Amino acid sequence: MIWVSWRQHRSQAIVGLGLICAFAVYGLVLGLQMRTSFSNNNLATCLAHSLGASCLNSVASFDNRFGSLVNIGFYAVLLLLPGLIGAVVGATVLGRELEMGTWRLAWSQTVPRTRWLIVQLAVAATGLIVLGAVITLIITWYRAPMDRLTGHFVHNAYDYEGLVFTAYILFAFGLAVLAGQLLRRSIPAMLAALVPWVAVRLVVEFAIRPHFMTPLRFVDHCSNGCIGGGNSIVDVPPVTGHLGDLLVGNGATNAYQPASRFWEFQSIEAGIFVALTLAVLGVTVWLVHRRGT
Amino acid sequence: MTHDDTGGGPALRTAGLGKRYGHVWGLRDCTLTVPAGAIVGLVGPNGAGKTTLLEMIIGLLKPSEGQIEVFGRTAQANTAQTLARVGYVAQNRPLYPDFSVADMFHLGQAMNPNWDMNMAAARMEALDVPLKRKVKALSGGQQAQVSLAMALAKRAPLLVLDEPVASLDPVARLEFMREVMAQAADGGYTVILASHVVSELERFCDFLVVLAHGHAQLIGPVDELLGEHQLLTVPRTTPDADLPGTAIHRTDSDRHSSVVLRTSPATPATRAHPGWQTESVGFEQLVLAYLQRPAKGANSSNPARGAEPSGPTTKVMSR
Repeated sequence: MIWVSWRQHRSQAIVGLGLICAFAVYGLVLGLQMRTSFSNNNLATCLAHSLGASCLNSVASFDNRFGSLVNIGFYAVLLLLPGLIGAVVGATVLGRELEMGTWRLAWSQTVPRTRWLIVQLAVAATGLIVLGAVITLIITWYRAPMDRLTGHFVHNAYDYEGLVFTAYILFAFGLAVLAGQLLRRSIPAMLAALVPWVAVRLVVEFAIRPHFMTPLRFVDHCSNGCIGGGNSIVDVPPVTGHLGDLLVGNGATNAYQPASRFWEFQSIEAGIFVALTLAVLGVTVWLVHRRGT
Repeated sequence: MTHDDTGGGPALRTAGLGKRYGHVWGLRDCTLTVPAGAIVGLVGPNGAGKTTLLEMIIGLLKPSEGQIEVFGRTAQANTAQTLARVGYVAQNRPLYPDFSVADMFHLGQAMNPNWDMNMAAARMEALDVPLKRKVKALSGGQQAQVSLAMALAKRAPLLVLDEPVASLDPVARLEFMREVMAQAADGGYTVILASHVVSELERFCDFLVVLAHGHAQLIGPVDELLGEHQLLTVPRTTPDADLPGTAIHRTDSDRHSSVVLRTSPATPATRAHPGWQTESVGFEQLVLAYLQRPAKGANSSNPARGAEPSGPTTKVMSR
């Protein structure tokens, strides 16, 4: 049974592997350039001592050179990427079977359809977890120098370094599997899955994430200007004085999430998306079971 | 090859079988018994409930009411025991286009405990279908043979074929049906063949089931059914009630009417009315007569044709 699922997703796996290879080459080239530039300007020492205040020009030139490559590129391409990956794979699981009529072949063999579906889901999800983890590792590696300037809580780092990227893929996958069952078409299922996926992503990212844990309070001691304050080159909230802290509501309430909570936040958010995925897939398995009854 | 689990009883028995989709009945009150070894022709217009009936027999669909027994055991939808007992070639003969023939058989092996790989491979060799070729590169006839091989290699005693030769060219149709008949004879399969092509059913089937309006209209061995019906030509003025049997379908011309009549053996039509002309009815005429029969309830609007036939025989279903 596992072989059957693997064989059905083989061409997708090959495309996925190709995607990873191309992305790894891009990451390697960009990562090496950033590392070279970073060490040539002695940015590490400067950042460690003064959070960049003593080397504003070097920080600025590094940011100018690489900022758009790693940040704008992220917004344009990578924001939708996990959704697309998950939706493409998910839409084939039921959507394509129902569209092509092959469900009659698959479900009339000596394997009850619910078992068939669970194996299909397990095999596809395993592949997606591996894919998500590898992409996460590549991004985390090549972005590392930039993260020294920004911390990990900024959207461009947080969404791609850690657990959430893979969880986003799984959620899109689950939605597309369900949409395939409901729409009985693969392409419409793919598109239909992306709409709720983007909506939930944005709501979680902007409305819920800042409140995963009770924020800490800071005393605003920066009315007279702080280190790095005003130039916004280094993403250190000037008021807290720590790289990578996340201000809640732009700091208006004097609340922030400290950078040290990164992995707790990642776990909470990944947990949310995995739970949503399991719920959606549970509904799908139930619907498929009920279809024949 | 013999099937040890066929027992001595009928291959298929359904009682009061029905399937409802929302408020609409796709099939209702279907009671039939198919003897083991029969080649059953299942005929009916689109939407008559053929695929619904077949999917319930296979175990893809759970009946809303009634029972199905396949070789004496109650069929339960979506269970391995039930699925294992029926080999199925679905409508449009679905296969995975980017699988090779060998991949398809590998799938069959992975998903069926009794899979006969040697048989499947030998059949492809005999038919000159290369195992390494992708399904999408095969001709329609070859794809149909792959589908048939998959249904046969499952080693299930009942073979269900839903429009298996639709969209095939005449030669491929013939070759396909020849394979089915040869396998049925060799392996002792019971075959249920749904088709729109009445001439094909006539050629191959020894048992007939006509479905229309979600009901089984006619069920029985072909020989018996042909013996029980006559084509009768009577003056146009003769009401249905005077006919020595049940008028199934009546065609009126200027002066005469020709009636497909279900007779009772005790009262031959010709004896009572020497002026009437009787002929034996052909297979296709018989099928068409039942297919053209109006739905139940529509008859009452046409009193000249007589009321609903009284006392239907046990094999003609009525509500």
